[in-house]
Amino acid sequence: MPGVILDGRQLSRDIRQELRERVTVLAAGAVVPKLAGIIVGDDAGSASYVRLKEKAAAEVGLLSEMCHLPQDYTQRDLLTRISELNRRADVHGIFVQLPLPPQFNESAVLTTISPAKDVDGFHPESVGRSWLGQESFVPATPAGIMEMLRRSGYGDLRHRHAVIVNVDNLVGKPLAALLCHESVSANITLCHPDTPCLADWTRQADLLVVAANRPRFITADMVKEGVIAVDFGTNYVEDTSAKQGYHLEGDIDFEPVREKAEAITPVPGGVGPMTVTMLLAHTVEAAERLAAVS
Amino acid sequence: MLVTTWNGGTMPAKIIDGRSIAAAIREELKGRMAALDGAVPGLAVLVMGDDPSAQSYLRGITRGCEAVGIYTETMRLPQDTTQKLLEDAISRLNSDTRFHGIILQLPLPEHLNSLRAQSAVSPDKDVDGTNPVSCGKLLLGEETFFPSTAYGVKELLVRSGHSPEGRHVVICGRSNIVGKPLAGILVQKRPGANATVTICHTGTRNLPEITRSADILVAAIGRPRAITADMVREGAVVVDVGVNQVEDAATGKPRLVGDVDFDAVAEKAVAVTPVPGGTGPVTTAMLLTNTVAAAEKLLAR
Ligand SMILES: NC(=O)c1ccc[n+]([C@@H]2O[C@H](COP(=O)([O-])OP(=O)(O)OC[C@H]3O[C@@H](n4cnc5c(N)ncnc54)[C@H](OP(=O)(O)O)[C@@H]3O)[C@@H](O)[C@H]2O)c1
Repeated sequence: MPGVILDGRQLSRDIRQELRERVTVLAAGAVVPKLAGIIVGDDAGSASYVRLKEKAAAEVGLLSEMCHLPQDYTQRDLLTRISELNRRADVHGIFVQLPLPPQFNESAVLTTISPAKDVDGFHPESVGRSWLGQESFVPATPAGIMEMLRRSGYGDLRHRHAVIVNVDNLVGKPLAALLCHESVSANITLCHPDTPCLADWTRQADLLVVAANRPRFITADMVKEGVIAVDFGTNYVEDTSAKQGYHLEGDIDFEPVREKAEAITPVPGGVGPMTVTMLLAHTVEAAERLAAVS
Repeated sequence: MLVTTWNGGTMPAKIIDGRSIAAAIREELKGRMAALDGAVPGLAVLVMGDDPSAQSYLRGITRGCEAVGIYTETMRLPQDTTQKLLEDAISRLNSDTRFHGIILQLPLPEHLNSLRAQSAVSPDKDVDGTNPVSCGKLLLGEETFFPSTAYGVKELLVRSGHSPEGRHVVICGRSNIVGKPLAGILVQKRPGANATVTICHTGTRNLPEITRSADILVAAIGRPRAITADMVREGAVVVDVGVNQVEDAATGKPRLVGDVDFDAVAEKAVAVTPVPGGTGPVTTAMLLTNTVAAAEKLLAR
């Protein structure tokens, strides 16, 4: 029997519904969570992504404040602006849309965001806390996949072997930190898409997570029967029959792998839709934490 | 490291001698100290109570500091110190210009919150790399101090000619001070790292099968001789971080053994670290290295 499809769109709708309810509770205590975003320069992709976040925020009842700064903005002014947002009691979550223009030191910018408002989880303190097994915000991508696994009944991975084909700061490393937590306890192998004899690793995986950005990179002969396959790939593949001239494809050769899998995420409609939802969830969480202490 | 064989050829040393690697590191540090324009690096060691098992580690630090010319002081706080008093002590050390590095002897007594104490150590002086900010930077591949045991394992491998690059490293143990930071160091795309890394713990099924797939096997679990020969592949490199006190069967006296069943594993491994005399001395040497690096950074500013 082909594997269950882990439907990110549906899960994302469920979570957003829950978030709306949590926002209502907060509003009863006169707190409306607010997400502040900063975008610098005129990258069209970034601009449309920020609009998406803004729209999603409104949809669950969050306030948002998106600030669009000119391409030639300075590092110093940006840091000042972030510090202002850190101080404002009405702002609960802050993100800076990446990539920044070349004159910026990204690491210095991200380190300026207060860890309490760091809803993207990029601050080294957030990363470190998560790695140490402490409560903290984690980047939306790994947060999304963990939420998806939990809600699909795969929250406890004790005695399972997770193989992550990616060692980036956005996916592989923070995900390894989460899978290593006591409560999840997968046994983890971190490898790179170019690791020699990659199939030897992927075939051992009970949970296989791939973020390689190579279309149909993982073929059915590279996975074992009963795998849970998670695909982060977003490859635009030329397609003359499609209206836009391309279609979206993941890193996993979906249909054949699904035949062997216990569960699998599709592309599109898998982990993608979870990402923005997790950003909203983190903002609500930040507001709840603040409300709890005050 | 090569040893001369009976017929005058050379072969890789089977036993990785941590003491001689540590001595080489200390020699290099003396050279770096000479370039400090007379500034003396300082290391403050904060100890709660008088746990006897920590004494030999602490003695090693003091002796190592003396050998390379680092100024060191051990501050003892009573076992029942409050969180507030501990954090005050840390904050005084943060602003004390005699000290470039601060370490906190772990574990702390039960009633204290170690994460909060570790977070109180200034990242500039966090030579044991336990502040969450330091841990985060380590994982992100940014410049920071590496926890000394994990750093030591990497150095030991590289300096004994067994670079982890491109190899499969299996780490048994996911503690915050050894297993996790070591995994974080070895996955970075850097010379001396860039390995495929597997992290195992008590939630791992078929541990022997996984350890047998290791080119390099690191044991950091704290179970005497738990890594047996059948868990090791012919030709693997085995690093033993464990320090366990057991009763000697012959004499009835306490003695130290590692997590690896040394004699049997040495038959199969191409190289193995002994306990004592393996990772222990290198750990101390890396703490000294971090302290000198902290002083260099301050001077450069
Ligand atoms: N050489 C040095 O300088 C140095 C420095 C520090 C520590 N050490 C020594 O290194 C050892 C480990 O120290 P630590 O602080 O990391 O210990 P720890 O905090 O007790 O962690 C032990 C780790 O090993 C795992 N583990 C335990 N039994 C296991 C088994 N049978 N199979 C697989 N994994 C197992 C545990 O898994 P769970 O997480 O699932 O419980 C845990 O992650 C100790 O002997 C310690 O004395 C030496």
